[in-house]
Amino acid sequence: MTNHKVVGVLALQGGVVEHLSHFKRAVESSPEQYGPFQLEFIEVKTSDQLHRCNALVIPGGESTAISLIAERTGLLAHLYEFVADESKVIWGTCAGLILLAKQVENAKRDQKILGGMDIKVIRNAFGRQLDSFESNLDFSSFIPNLKDFPTIFIRAPIVDQILNENPRLNENLTHPPVPMAKLTDGITVRSENPYSNSSPVEILHRLENGFIVAVKQGNKLGTSFHPELSENFLFHKWFLDTFVLAD
Amino acid sequence: MTTPAHTPGGSPLPVPHGVGNPSGTPVVAPTRSAPHKDGGNSSLGTFGVKSGLAQMLKGGVIMDVVNAEQARIAEEAGACAVMALERVPADIRAQGGVARMSDPKMIKEIVDAVTIPVMAKVRIGHFVEAQILQAIGIDYIDESEVLTPADDEHHINKHAYKVPFVCGARNLGEALRRISEGAAMIRTKGEAGTGNVVEAVRHQRAVMSEIRKASVMSEEELYAYARDLQAPFHLLKETARLKRLPVVNFAAGGLATPADAALMMQLGCDGVFVGSGIFKSGDAAKRARAIVQAVTHYNNPKLLAEISEDLGEAMVGLTIDDNLKGGRLASRGW
Repeated sequence: MTNHKVVGVLALQGGVVEHLSHFKRAVESSPEQYGPFQLEFIEVKTSDQLHRCNALVIPGGESTAISLIAERTGLLAHLYEFVADESKVIWGTCAGLILLAKQVENAKRDQKILGGMDIKVIRNAFGRQLDSFESNLDFSSFIPNLKDFPTIFIRAPIVDQILNENPRLNENLTHPPVPMAKLTDGITVRSENPYSNSSPVEILHRLENGFIVAVKQGNKLGTSFHPELSENFLFHKWFLDTFVLAD
Repeated sequence: MTTPAHTPGGSPLPVPHGVGNPSGTPVVAPTRSAPHKDGGNSSLGTFGVKSGLAQMLKGGVIMDVVNAEQARIAEEAGACAVMALERVPADIRAQGGVARMSDPKMIKEIVDAVTIPVMAKVRIGHFVEAQILQAIGIDYIDESEVLTPADDEHHINKHAYKVPFVCGARNLGEALRRISEGAAMIRTKGEAGTGNVVEAVRHQRAVMSEIRKASVMSEEELYAYARDLQAPFHLLKETARLKRLPVVNFAAGGLATPADAALMMQLGCDGVFVGSGIFKSGDAAKRARAIVQAVTHYNNPKLLAEISEDLGEAMVGLTIDDNLKGGRLASRGW
């Protein structure tokens, strides 16, 4: 057992340094707590960098651009393997949540997704940029005392359905129709990754209207919003403490 | 000319308070969240939401497209957004005349054709064109010197809009004036439609060198420097502290090859706009893919060599001198 952990942020396109900066601030905030650990935060562009990681953050960005770039440099196959390795920790924010899903509605034709979580995600579920918003949310049900956390939703996705579950569970998941910008070409795509997550999906947070915006399944975490865009690094600290340093 | 004053409109002023930058941590163009309403109510069109989208475009390529087919090619190549316009800058140069906002019908066709964000251009100072683009639900507005200016003194008050704006700049003063007017993203002006990267390099180097100068100045010196740059003091001070622009900064104006794109990234840009460079080249789809890869792997010369191979004809480049057809677009705006 080693105290050395490498946390990577997938750096193909999108908001990468925001995550790295939040992790470093979280670690600097509690030198005593993190003293025993050797934590390394790196950008991941290549398979060599990916293979060094114990945990990976898939950041916000354009999910189509990220998966196309991964495909063309041969990184996609390595990402499929990384996702299938349940000793690895993964967190997807916004575009990252889309990429982690098994199914995506309102996707680009032939869009490749990693299939790490048994969820169906609706892309751009709130609509276009004009519908992007900020909101303070109460996460204290899963992060102690985090009651008024500033979240930013940018052309954000939501979790529409839990897959491979008792269908009756999904009956409770009904939410109002999404105001998504309906695309001429928008279709539902399914992941080609044969991996199947062995843990159940846990819903961490729903908006008042019922939209699911934070989910967990085993070592994998998905959020619709961007904790890395708020001033507050406590969400990142919680991720480090409960996912990366859990064992 | 005077330093533009903040005009508090309906939307909150962007008071920058960046992510701290203790040495060793990466530098972030900070999100500048507006005050929140109580009770978890959500707020639309805040500066945090506007600059946040720009942060999600980083490391990406934004491509000029003139129809739905080109937009699909751009999306398929991995563009992080497209810029919808009727004529690419090279054609505006060649054909002359007044260049205006594109037909909303054509913009809507592009919006419907792709899943990625769509931007469109308005003339400098033409706030009604901006109102129209906001009304049709465009994701980002470029108040652009590529179109013929509608106002030779005033830029649009961009705080008044829910839709975010990107604006061109040739130096730090110009960039900070635009940010003070509400721009949530900056791009170098370069010299659009020339296929010649020299002006983009000049403008990016000017911005970076002025930021470096400011970053070692005392407060007294910063007051004087703000006067010299004709930039608002508080934004200059914030820039000096962050050692970068307080919003995302893309390169634009004359990029034609993957190497051009990587050059601009190594000079400190967060991403690139490619206008005429793609669809005025021999094999647009291939060149577009190559430029996307080059922006991700801008620091990897071996990979850049592979990416640059066999791309076919690049667009014809123009020398930038007094005889340049269509003139110097970068001198539009102030």
